[in-house]
Amino acid sequence: MKRDLISIEDLNEKQLRDYIEFGRKIDGMSHEACRQILAGRILGVLFYEPSTRTRLSFEAAMLRMGGQIIGFSEALNTSVAKGESLADTIRTVERYCDAIVIRHPREGAARLAAEISRVPVINAGDGANQHPTQTLLDLYTLQNLFGRVDGLRVALVGDLKYSRTVHSLFHALARFKDVRFRFVSPETLRMPEYVIEATEGSAAEIAETTNFEEAIADSDVIYMTRIQRERFPDPLEYEKVKDAYRLDRSALKHAPSHLKVLHPLPRVNEIATDVDSTQHAAYFPQAGYGMVMRQGILAHLLGGKL
Amino acid sequence: MSPEQIMLIPKIENGFVLDHIPTGSGVKVLNLIRGHAELNESVISVGLHYTSRRLGRKDLIKIQSRELPQRFLQHLSLVVPGVTIKRVENYAVAQKIVLEPPELVDNLLSCPNPGCITNHERGVTTCFHLVRREPMKFRCNHCERRFALSELENRLKL
Ligand SMILES: [Zn+2]
Repeated sequence: MKRDLISIEDLNEKQLRDYIEFGRKIDGMSHEACRQILAGRILGVLFYEPSTRTRLSFEAAMLRMGGQIIGFSEALNTSVAKGESLADTIRTVERYCDAIVIRHPREGAARLAAEISRVPVINAGDGANQHPTQTLLDLYTLQNLFGRVDGLRVALVGDLKYSRTVHSLFHALARFKDVRFRFVSPETLRMPEYVIEATEGSAAEIAETTNFEEAIADSDVIYMTRIQRERFPDPLEYEKVKDAYRLDRSALKHAPSHLKVLHPLPRVNEIATDVDSTQHAAYFPQAGYGMVMRQGILAHLLGGKL
Repeated sequence: MSPEQIMLIPKIENGFVLDHIPTGSGVKVLNLIRGHAELNESVISVGLHYTSRRLGRKDLIKIQSRELPQRFLQHLSLVVPGVTIKRVENYAVAQKIVLEPPELVDNLLSCPNPGCITNHERGVTTCFHLVRREPMKFRCNHCERRFALSELENRLKL
């Protein structure tokens, strides 16, 4: 049967661990061997809205495994702009390629594409809904930094209300053993109840706080998100909270030495550049792990030999 | 039911009684019946605000028709979950069932999420899954949002 990757919610604990393992296998291979995995295969990259980072990461992943790429990076000059339906685009493109990566502003677009397509579909972001490869690369990063995911103390920081990245990561981590969470956010951007409810109580421990300092001193991982000005009807409110959840070198003074700071990138000013050179900064390596993880995902879905 | 109440709504020889409709929802059911062309010719009698031992007050609707369309029943289960349906033959109740919403709601609803792809493509089939019973929540298979029944009852695809 055709395999797709549409939503983190479709994956159980074993499947999450398997994906991490696919990444590790790729990482252990020589460049030469890697170039054979998907030699002669073509990936369709359909980006209906721009997301340079994600697209480059997928394209690099495909090229490193000997494959090739076709596609578009925004819908402006395509048949889509002329009003072609997503379904028709998929029915056409599936004939040209061996798998499809799709990013689309509408929620559920990747699921719909997968229902139609006879080749595997990978969701690279569907509106405010899912971005499963981001979550898998976050897990893979943790595995690489700590040698494990189980038992970590993870602080999720910033906009916990609207950040889908954080919701998915929380849901995925809750399936691992004994991961303890600390939700650090301003009162107005707290983790929504429905997101917590969806885990059906599987998270080992959840603490909610507005106190960033305390979280830094008592965590293994700080996962930062951006607090967007648009989320605040009152600009004064924004000014009040934005600095409270900003990370700089001095804030890390009392951090345990093994603490790692992650961020899905791009960052704006929520992490000061003076953090970059500390032992805690892991967000650039995270981007590198992202490409390897996407190699593992592509190899798995396309049936490449690992 | 007391004798004076029976006076208000005639007994039917053959057809269906939709009973134990929470009071106020009778009108919703009536609208639903209007939305199903197969029932447009049927004789309908409506009783509102009956006293009921179970619900305090209830609405009641009688439909004189040979059968109730599958799709109507599925929609009905979403508008008034727990409604009782009695099949009447020769003035007597021949069969009685309590209607509960399905686990899988297959193309009966449009998604309340305006950003959901199913609201922007022609000819898409929607699908919702029952993910929670108390309180009842359904999840759109595409956008993955969860909805309470109250958010879905005016999204019926008729
Ligand atoms: Zn939806």
